[in-house]
Amino acid sequence: MDITGADFIRGMALLGAGLAMGLGAIGPGVGEGFAAGKACEAIGRKPEEAGLLTRTMLVGQAVSESTGIYSLVVALLLMFVVK
Amino acid sequence: MSWEKVELLRAASYLGAGISIGFGAIGAGIGEGIAAGEANHALSYRPRFSSEILTTMLVGQAIAESASIFALVIAMLLLFGSVESKPLVTVWAYIGAGLSMGISAIGSGIGTGMPVAGACKGIVRQPSAQSQITSLMLVGSGVAQSTSVYGFLIALLLLFKPLPDVTTFASAGALLGAGFAMGFGGIGPGIGEGIAAGYAVEGLARNPELTTVMTRTMLVGQAVAESTGIYSLVVSLLLILNV
Repeated sequence: MDITGADFIRGMALLGAGLAMGLGAIGPGVGEGFAAGKACEAIGRKPEEAGLLTRTMLVGQAVSESTGIYSLVVALLLMFVVK
Repeated sequence: MSWEKVELLRAASYLGAGISIGFGAIGAGIGEGIAAGEANHALSYRPRFSSEILTTMLVGQAIAESASIFALVIAMLLLFGSVESKPLVTVWAYIGAGLSMGISAIGSGIGTGMPVAGACKGIVRQPSAQSQITSLMLVGSGVAQSTSVYGFLIALLLLFKPLPDVTTFASAGALLGAGFAMGFGGIGPGIGEGIAAGYAVEGLARNPELTTVMTRTMLVGQAVAESTGIYSLVVSLLLILNV
């Protein structure tokens, strides 16, 4: 197959988009799950603080999510913006 | 070196089958091992609950196994599917399908083992709450399986979507990229949701009257952990559907 320069760039950008989103999703997934797990453990110990614990869990998960959002943004840029 | 198109396609489908079941076997193996290890540990405290522990362990391991069974199905489709009438770009779709299914099964397999381990620990601690513990374990491990189902869907789409006859490097990159996106993207949510469910089951065993709040917190946390898996699914679908 003949590969032109523009085609090569587009191919690499799309492959890069896949790798960006794929690898970028590992960390937030594990981290957010860990936060949720510890929150559940803590609610088991102190059920009366369930509201506070859920709020703290969600704030922590939102921070952990940020790198996943960066990956999503870069993947979308690679797919639709860069030429 | 010059190869016929059909030879290239066949070679790629065999490579894809190997990738699918090779990676796909990692997670279920680890997850089931975690479950079995914790079951044995739990039995050492209270051997008379052996039948309850054994049942819980086997049910949970069966769920963990399903991720690698999906990978086996994709591998079989790749091994025995017909390649005669497919365009050349399908080479990349075959490898992408193997990556998507195989790698995403790692997370679900490991993740599903964790609530099972938690349930074995919990049943020994609080035998009277066995039914609540088991049902929370089933819900939690079912959610942890979700990303391997996404991987399976993307793999099926890559295998059976009609592809253009013209092979460009861009379409090859998109098909391979879709496999990487969904494959790697499935690891994190699978493991994370499993960790969440594991602690939730243990927490429930400590305080069995908390079934509602524990289920709710676990599901909210898992939903957040799922988000990156959904991003990966969306990116993969965009990559495939634009080919």
